[in-house]
Amino acid sequence: MFKAIARSVRYKLALVVLAATFVALLVAGTALVLYDLRNYQRQLENDLVTQAEILGRASAPALAFEDPKSANENLALLGVRPNIYAAGIYNAKGKLFASYEGRDAPRAAFPSLPEADGSRVAGNELLLFKRIVENGEIVGTAYLRAGYEPFERLKDYLGILGGVMALSLLAAALMSVWLQAAVTKPILEVTDVARQVMERRDFSLRARKTTQDEIGYLVDAFNDMLAEVGRRAEALEASNRSLEHEVAERQRADEDRRKLNAELEQRVSERTSQLEAANKELEGFSYSVSHDLRAPLRGIIGFADALMEDHGPALDEEAKRKIAIVQDEGRRMGVLIDDLLAFSRLGRKALQIVDLDMSKLARTTLDGLHAQHNGQGVDLQLGTLPQTKGDRVLLGQVWANLLSNALKFSSKNGKPQIVVSAVTDEKEHIYFVRDNGAGFDPRYQSKLFGVFQRLHDSSEFPGTGVGLALVQRIVNRHGGRVWAEGKPNQGATFYFTLPKERIDGTV
Amino acid sequence: MEAVTFLFGRRRNLPARTLRTAIFAALSIFICLEQCAAQDDAQAVEHQVKAAFLYKFAGYVKWPDSADARPDAPFTIGVIGADAIAAELVEAVAGRKLEDRNIAVKRLKAGEPLAGIQILFVGRSEAARLNQLLQAAQPRSILVVTESEGALAQGSVINFVMADRRVRFEISLDSAEKSRLKLSSRLLAVAQQVRTGTP
Repeated sequence: MFKAIARSVRYKLALVVLAATFVALLVAGTALVLYDLRNYQRQLENDLVTQAEILGRASAPALAFEDPKSANENLALLGVRPNIYAAGIYNAKGKLFASYEGRDAPRAAFPSLPEADGSRVAGNELLLFKRIVENGEIVGTAYLRAGYEPFERLKDYLGILGGVMALSLLAAALMSVWLQAAVTKPILEVTDVARQVMERRDFSLRARKTTQDEIGYLVDAFNDMLAEVGRRAEALEASNRSLEHEVAERQRADEDRRKLNAELEQRVSERTSQLEAANKELEGFSYSVSHDLRAPLRGIIGFADALMEDHGPALDEEAKRKIAIVQDEGRRMGVLIDDLLAFSRLGRKALQIVDLDMSKLARTTLDGLHAQHNGQGVDLQLGTLPQTKGDRVLLGQVWANLLSNALKFSSKNGKPQIVVSAVTDEKEHIYFVRDNGAGFDPRYQSKLFGVFQRLHDSSEFPGTGVGLALVQRIVNRHGGRVWAEGKPNQGATFYFTLPKERIDGTV
Repeated sequence: MEAVTFLFGRRRNLPARTLRTAIFAALSIFICLEQCAAQDDAQAVEHQVKAAFLYKFAGYVKWPDSADARPDAPFTIGVIGADAIAAELVEAVAGRKLEDRNIAVKRLKAGEPLAGIQILFVGRSEAARLNQLLQAAQPRSILVVTESEGALAQGSVINFVMADRRVRFEISLDSAEKSRLKLSSRLLAVAQQVRTGTP
């Protein structure tokens, strides 16, 4: 029931009409009943007073001329007022002169003496006494006893009210059924069309306009909206179709690209593994070559030494000089082979990452170098270097190579000067070593870090040409970069970076 | 009482019939022994009632304006031929007023003028002279009240009668009209009989 009411405007309208009718009737009826009950006693009293006056006036001559018959006749007229149960006329001496009792009225004795003017309620009855005055003289008293039953009256009233309300509600219900058809029918039609549209997705349906009121306007708006929705739906569908097409194409392209990528990756990984294999082979080869070269070299050097020791006195100076060259070149080759071994070993050894105080490391390395070379007279400026993490031995090697290079290439300058410092940006520490030595031709910058690449003659600046290659390899393994700036005879600066956050020790 | 007086009167006037009269008297006295006391009381009540009615009539009667030239004069009830009633009337009206007018009682004797009288009561003893009195009273708009049978036919306006041992009255509207008196319908309502049409 409530569901039905909640779902349909018709029931709601009917409910509104019925509720309004009910409330209006209830309020009006209640007000009426209250007003009437309030006035009931007063009205009854007024009525009885009037009645008593009339009786008194009519009965005054009867009293004056002692004619109870006439008075009784007057009283008998009260028979038309069943609510008046009894009436009496007392003469001036207070004796009952004439009396009347209603046929079906409740019996009660007449008061033996009349009371003072006025009325009083006695149970369900109202008693009234009224002096009869004739020619300025009290000639008697009229007495009336009437039914006074406010509750009976209230009951009657409520009964009537209930009946009226029931009838009114019935009439209102019928009226609303009849009237609401005019209001709800167009709405129901629109609703029907809306339901069909929802079910069939057919935006070509239109509601019929039957009235010129707000509902008619609603129907127009509804139809306009349907048309608009239809247009939109069509456009949307077209756009959807083209989108679908596009998406399919894109998917196809994506698929192709994925395939290509996979293929490429496959090829890269194949090539990489081939390269790794080749690299390993090469490293192994160079290691074994270096290793194997040492044995004959030791033989050459050893025998050259033995020749000088055993046959030195027998040899002339020229022979001695040539043997010394063999010894020097042999030793040089030994250093070369050692460097090569160190270089090739670097690819195999795992990094031992620890916290490093770079200032201390650089200082220690420099002290060691001072001990080897005669480095007095070098103006050395060692700035504060940020701490980092790395392999102590390898990074010590980096410092050793860079600093020994700087000492070596600035030794020809009259006032050799070396600056070691660092800067830090958000990603990495950039350490650098600057000297005011021989410098280099920037054209050959790319060759600086190659193995066995030398820009200066070894007679001028001794060295194997492996040092910077080693530096590059170590820094790269720490995840950093190396580069250099310089001009001939104007010094050079070598930079290397180490990332602030190292993730692992692999290149 | 009246019967006894009448009886004695007869004896005095007609001595020849003494014996018969004596017997009659004895009989009367014998009857009187049983009834006279009650009769005395009844007669007194009758006089009282008639006296009361007389002045009460005034409240239900409207006199023509010309009949009452002097409003400051007392309302006067004339009584002729009924001293007992006059005495009762004097007692009854003592201290009473009629529309702010004092009420006076005037005992009239035969031949006295009727000027200044509003109500004239003609006792039974003066019934013989009723016609004469009526002729004098009618032009003066005097309400004539009688207590004799057939008085209405003669021209009396109100006539007392005894009914069921109670004092009632009958009214002649024609006579009232001739005297230019207007009688209240409420008075007519309590009258025993209201006569209309010429007698």
